[in-house]
Amino acid sequence: MESWVRFNSQSQAKERIIRAAQYACTLLGYTLQKGGAAADLLHTVSQLEAHMSLSRKLLRLGNSVEALEAAKRAIHLSDGVLRLCLTISHLNRAMYFACDNILWAGKTGLVPEVDLHKWSQRSFRYYLFTLILNLTRDVYELHLLMDREARYRASKSPPSAQPSSSLSADPPSPTPEALPWLSRQLHLLVTVLYTNPPLLLDLLKNLCDIFIPLDRLGIRPTGSGFVGACGLTSSLLSIATILHPWLKLKP
Amino acid sequence: MDAVVQFTSQSQGRDRIFRATQYACALSVYLLRNNSERKDLVAKLKSLETNMSAGRKLFRLGNTINSIEAAKRTMQLSDRVLCLCLTAANANRALYFICDNVLWARNVGLIRDIDKERWSLNASRCYFLSLVTSLTRDVYEVIQLMAQKARDRHFRQKMELHLNESSEVAEAVIPQLDAFLFLLLESLRSHPAVALDVLKNVCDLFIPLDRLGIYQSNAGVVGFCGLLSSVIGIVTLAQPKLRLRP
Repeated sequence: MESWVRFNSQSQAKERIIRAAQYACTLLGYTLQKGGAAADLLHTVSQLEAHMSLSRKLLRLGNSVEALEAAKRAIHLSDGVLRLCLTISHLNRAMYFACDNILWAGKTGLVPEVDLHKWSQRSFRYYLFTLILNLTRDVYELHLLMDREARYRASKSPPSAQPSSSLSADPPSPTPEALPWLSRQLHLLVTVLYTNPPLLLDLLKNLCDIFIPLDRLGIRPTGSGFVGACGLTSSLLSIATILHPWLKLKP
Repeated sequence: MDAVVQFTSQSQGRDRIFRATQYACALSVYLLRNNSERKDLVAKLKSLETNMSAGRKLFRLGNTINSIEAAKRTMQLSDRVLCLCLTAANANRALYFICDNVLWARNVGLIRDIDKERWSLNASRCYFLSLVTSLTRDVYEVIQLMAQKARDRHFRQKMELHLNESSEVAEAVIPQLDAFLFLLLESLRSHPAVALDVLKNVCDLFIPLDRLGIYQSNAGVVGFCGLLSSVIGIVTLAQPKLRLRP
């Protein structure tokens, strides 16, 4: 109970729970539709989803400032690639929140002249750029860690036997040589991800999240069921990183 | 900027800002109600107020557990009166949140067949009781402060000075009342947390009093009182020194 109180006192935690519930409603709506449920039940579920979406927009009203502050902090990072990726990612997030605020104003009727579709597409574009940059950062971190792991392994074990077929008359076939390299890389990848849960969680979260703007922008339509499942998974992963701060990828 | 970000990252901070906005809208709607040129502004403000209220009901869904935890903590206080008042206040607040959650479910359409008016009145009653017990606690704290001050020698000298000087300006009609008021004001001035809490609870009290029909004021008074108590809530959250503990 104590931990719930502490968890609930963070505004971000509340927003994540509501996000999880929202995408659960999306998934539930899709499942019920496939299962042929009553129309008013579907209507209730979609109304609940819309209510949560609008309330989340209300809760996020101040987040542009927070994203700009995060961008200011990211400028001082030492690693060049990280600095670039994170700063631009935070700036895109700030723009996403700004579009989101305008959407809220339009949906609640404060500024009725807002073209909801245009601004919605805009906000999803910024969200997509943010996720692409986050994934770039994840891949960069993964690459660094894999390099380090490969060098560590090379220094620990004696050098493996040289390929003896260099003087043979056999035509060079890349497949038998490429396969051990591929399996080695895969093994490295799995090891690195297994020993670095924050990176794994962040990668999974960004991969799940990216399907949402891809579907909404029409780049890769997947259907509301898949979007709901991805959104729910990424929200649950995000709640896990809030509950256990050591699981959050830093910086 | 940093302080603003830190303030809004607390769930309570955001809720108080939304509450202040909600009651500011209510007050503005009341003030502009007869202004025919501003009809669309009034409609927008009403819509904003409804949205804030609906959003806040969603955000409050977990607060029952918070109140129960707070009640469990206050049950262990050593001072009997404080223990009783605070536990009763927290228990009533937990009941208020339960009613509030049921009302949210009704508004959203999850529960169809409940009497909205009855649950709304029950919520107001629980809120009213929690405010009454909070005010009882405030009165108890003020009495203790006044008793403590009266025993303080330094203060007694100050009181003598005040009573003697006022007799030169104008004779005090009821010198005991004058002394009592001086003691009260000095106690409140030296402990701003208690004064702010009293003011906040008194302002908050007008809201259920109006809703339950015990003391019918108008929407403007309710809006103003709600706004004032929200602003005091924001101030006490931003400055922890001004918050009354426990």
